[in-house]
Amino acid sequence: MILTDLGSYTDLFSEYTELRVQENRTLNVSIVNGDVMGNSRSASSGVSARTFSKGLWGFASNPIIDDENIRKVIRAATRNSQFLAGKENRTGYILPSSPGRSSEDFSTKKSRLSQKEIIDFMMEIDGRIDGKCSRVVSRTSVLQLLDMEKSLLTSDGSSAYSMIPRTMLYISLSTEHDGEPVQLFNVYGGLGQFEDLFSTPEVLFGKLDEHYEHLIRKAEGIHPDSGIKECILDADLAGILSHEAIGHTTEADGVRGGSVAGDYMDQQVASPLVSLVDFASEALGKICPIPVFIDDEGTVAEDAVIIDNGILKRFMHNKESSAYFNARATGNARAYRFSDEPIIRMRNTAILPGKSKLEDMIASVDDGYYLMKPSNGEADSTSEFMFGVVQGYEIKKGRLGRAIRDTTISGVAFDMLKTITAVSDDMKWSNAGMCGKKQLIPVGMGGPAVKCRINIGGK
Amino acid sequence: MKDRKDITEYCIEALQRAGLQKSECTLRDTHKDELNLDSGEISLLRTTDNTSLILNGILDDKEGTIAINKIDSQSIDEAALKVLDLADSSEPDKANDIAPAQPPAVFEKGPEAPDLDLMYTRMKDFMQYIGEHYPSLILEQAILDFTNINKHYRNSNGVDLESRRSSYNFSPMFTSKEGTKTSSFNYAAISTAELDRNLHECGTVDTLINQSTEQVRSMEFHGKFDGDIIITPDCLGGFIYMITSYLSDYPMIKGTSIFKDSLGAEIADPQLTLHSRPLSTKLAEGYFITADGFTAENSTIISKGVLKTFLLSLYGAKKTGKSRAVNGGDSYVVDPGEYTFDEMIGSVDKGILLCRFSGGMPSESGDFSGVAKNSYYIEKGEIKYPIKETMISGNIQNVLNNIKRISRERVNFGDAILPWIQVGDTNIFGK
Repeated sequence: MILTDLGSYTDLFSEYTELRVQENRTLNVSIVNGDVMGNSRSASSGVSARTFSKGLWGFASNPIIDDENIRKVIRAATRNSQFLAGKENRTGYILPSSPGRSSEDFSTKKSRLSQKEIIDFMMEIDGRIDGKCSRVVSRTSVLQLLDMEKSLLTSDGSSAYSMIPRTMLYISLSTEHDGEPVQLFNVYGGLGQFEDLFSTPEVLFGKLDEHYEHLIRKAEGIHPDSGIKECILDADLAGILSHEAIGHTTEADGVRGGSVAGDYMDQQVASPLVSLVDFASEALGKICPIPVFIDDEGTVAEDAVIIDNGILKRFMHNKESSAYFNARATGNARAYRFSDEPIIRMRNTAILPGKSKLEDMIASVDDGYYLMKPSNGEADSTSEFMFGVVQGYEIKKGRLGRAIRDTTISGVAFDMLKTITAVSDDMKWSNAGMCGKKQLIPVGMGGPAVKCRINIGGK
Repeated sequence: MKDRKDITEYCIEALQRAGLQKSECTLRDTHKDELNLDSGEISLLRTTDNTSLILNGILDDKEGTIAINKIDSQSIDEAALKVLDLADSSEPDKANDIAPAQPPAVFEKGPEAPDLDLMYTRMKDFMQYIGEHYPSLILEQAILDFTNINKHYRNSNGVDLESRRSSYNFSPMFTSKEGTKTSSFNYAAISTAELDRNLHECGTVDTLINQSTEQVRSMEFHGKFDGDIIITPDCLGGFIYMITSYLSDYPMIKGTSIFKDSLGAEIADPQLTLHSRPLSTKLAEGYFITADGFTAENSTIISKGVLKTFLLSLYGAKKTGKSRAVNGGDSYVVDPGEYTFDEMIGSVDKGILLCRFSGGMPSESGDFSGVAKNSYYIEKGEIKYPIKETMISGNIQNVLNNIKRISRERVNFGDAILPWIQVGDTNIFGK
């Protein structure tokens, strides 16, 4: 466990100061066609301090966590903010304060598996694919574990400890069709350490069989017909839509940077069927995949209801942006590594479930697509977005038809959201992705399925 | 321990003491001074020091790797024992190996320390330039950093390679706004050894900012056609990464690379020559030591359309039975072509100037599709207007084979030198 008692350093806080000790631990095992191609662990820890002087920030970090270096980074951060304050001659904002105390540890209570046991688990998965999936020409399994352990003290009275683990198993299968490779990947896992998520390899066998079946159908599939189409975006795509297309445009730093969302506050930006929330730690009675209780500025994290029944209601804030916009801080300031400063990030962003049944939604489409799994995604200040789609089916006269090959969908979120005519009554979460802004960070995204009109790429 | 040589020597000894038969370590010390501008104002000065120590060991053809950021002897001893445990837990693979003996070498590039006052002055001048020339532009963020990396690679075959390299890096991100009309955001990224000129004069920074202010008036494009795309140097880097990804370890070992049987064959129009030049003195960035412990060399990946090398590591080479690449890719340089940019535009009957591409990961078969961002419609030899909500789709192999023209002009970004490339027969479609 990292150093948690930072109280003795408060005498060095001459400005508003955050002091954080953090360790990120990873495990990576990758197996390609039965060969162990990756077998590594890492631990990266250190101390950082950030100070605020006359509206300007100073930050410093060091990998050595001892008394001398903790004092050094506080002094270096203070020196940096004062260096800028001396040049800029600014009065700055008074930062809001919503201090709290918390200690949240999501470590497993089970005994930890050895590296050998984990590799054996992976080899059994690999062997199962090799034995059962006859048309697979290449298979890759990658296990990635990330533990983020943080201890924070702020000069306005917050102290927080957290250990948030994430376990992800990525499986990619390739086959050939007419001499051309066709690939389909899937991701398993979520919040928690390996022992809490994967009891035995057998728990994945059913899902692997489904994965293989989708791959074979994809290999025999078609390229979609490009253009604006009626589509059902399944939960994983609704999740990435929530994150990329709406979430990024409503981060307050993006709004200050010119995002169109700045012009739409309290306006209808989506169908009344759409409500969208960036959850802090709990959603609909369950712990979120990336729970944040107190953010890395020491603000007690609360849910940010961004769209309420189609109306844009608020942005996501850190302390500084909440002062600028005269809004309540939502606890969205997060840092990935000890050497990163906290910036505005999403936590767990999701469209809330509606009342429709997925099968009825599919049945209502005469000519369109059911899009199931995304790859990557990007958004824009205009709310124009793009997602890769790696799994989906055409819908003809209300019935699923042929599978489709990899494609891309795009649209303008604040136009596209108005085309939503149905929202399913179920909900799925994923935290497989790493969101890239200035830093990477794991995020949760989720949602139900939505029916909408969207631009789809073809060949 | 006194210095990096002592530390890496200790690491190899610790790995050998632990029982590893072959061992290697990479020690990297990174110092960064970073000046940040947010929402149009200078906001943060950040100073970070970090250490990365990667220990790798092989036991009976089984390999394990531990990365830590501590360099005291106790941490190294503990890490060495963990490497042994990881290797012992793994499966044997004859392709696991470390680099053979090479002459020791020390490399150096870039200034040793930043000029913080000059960094501040350059950033302030940039802000003033933007305010005076582009009042509708919002600088969402701009980062100017100085990064110095000391690296030391050592292995149990006696390889002992050391490098220090540094550069200034500038990356502004911006959007333009006139009333409620908003452009797509755009960004630039350049690296330079010295801050010897204004930031807006580096790379394509001024061009992209100027385009951004035009793009508040982007127009929807209707219809669908097969036409030309002229890929700008800013956008070309992404396409080169798409192409080179098919030449790297994973797709080659998996056997799914579309180029797996194409060594020595023509995979692109003969106008295209692509190099990887990590040692180029024309580039501020680059590297001297490969990740697998070799002194890096410059290489030509595609020569007049012919594929000359894959980008295989030592492991990838042993696994596939093909030659190891003499570098790890990056530092890409494309040879200039015979046409001016204006001649290329003038030759397009119908197409787009592709300035940024926001696309899905290309498939194993090379198919890709995505949105043409910050781009322009071209008709009858003239750039007509900035476009929005326009998609393109194609296949990487077709892009390479359908190259029509390459520009004489090139842009040095500090980490790559790239021209404009005109590609025919691309599927373009709007609403």
